[in-house]
Amino acid sequence: MAIVIFFIAAAMAVAGAVGVVSFREPIRSVLSLVVVMLALSILFLLLSAQFVFVVQIIVYAGAVMVLFLFVIALFGPTRRLAKTQLRFQSWLSALFVLALLGLIYSMLQGIQYRQPDKGTDLSAFGTVQSIAVGLFTTYLYPFELTSILLLVAAIGAIYLSRKKIDDL
Amino acid sequence: MSTLEIGGSQLDAAWFLLLGGVLFAIGTVGVLVRRNPLVILISIELMLNAVNLTLIVFSRQLQNMEGQLFALMSMTVAAAEAVVGLAILVDIFHVRDVEDIDELSEMKG
Repeated sequence: MAIVIFFIAAAMAVAGAVGVVSFREPIRSVLSLVVVMLALSILFLLLSAQFVFVVQIIVYAGAVMVLFLFVIALFGPTRRLAKTQLRFQSWLSALFVLALLGLIYSMLQGIQYRQPDKGTDLSAFGTVQSIAVGLFTTYLYPFELTSILLLVAAIGAIYLSRKKIDDL
Repeated sequence: MSTLEIGGSQLDAAWFLLLGGVLFAIGTVGVLVRRNPLVILISIELMLNAVNLTLIVFSRQLQNMEGQLFALMSMTVAAAEAVVGLAILVDIFHVRDVEDIDELSEMKG
């Protein structure tokens, strides 16, 4: 049963990813990315990451992708298609990406999986409590830094999108 | 050692990792080939999602919560980066209609 779910979600993810890079209109790329994120969240749930599954749907697919959709809605469909391109660019990038895939595959062959750490039972794995314990004790410093990072990003976005007054 | 016991069946962690690698490679194709700056940003988000999948897989395989915490941080950083990148793009789009990333190769304008 889990194998079936894995293959369905994996097929959804790969189809969405191919759609992201292939569609001509950006709106369809964004919607394909939403499909990829939903498929990945199914995989996260399969891997006992319940909290990350919910956060992926609510925050990533539900907020970041809506941000992309707002930007696309602001600017409308692409009126002109890009004309300038290196003649051999598609083939060269396909070659590089195949090399990258070969590299990743050969790295996967050489992985020595080490034994899982003892002392964690899977019933409390990935729950909100275990995330909170890690986030507020061991990783408190990165957590606070991340909130400052979000504050800086929000201030930056507000500043960049301010209305510029020309007659001052 | 790489088999995961999920819902009664045995899955191999290598399949998940290969899926993450394939998604990362497809995102790289998008960044290299597409000309629209918005689609390039979307492909970067795809690559970040692939990395999150790899983190969660290893967190499950090692039964260690640190991978999931790292993935949460990565999601947060990706959200902040998407916000700032899109704000810059909106700023550029107000001035001129960019449909080719090569038009943005100079800092002026």
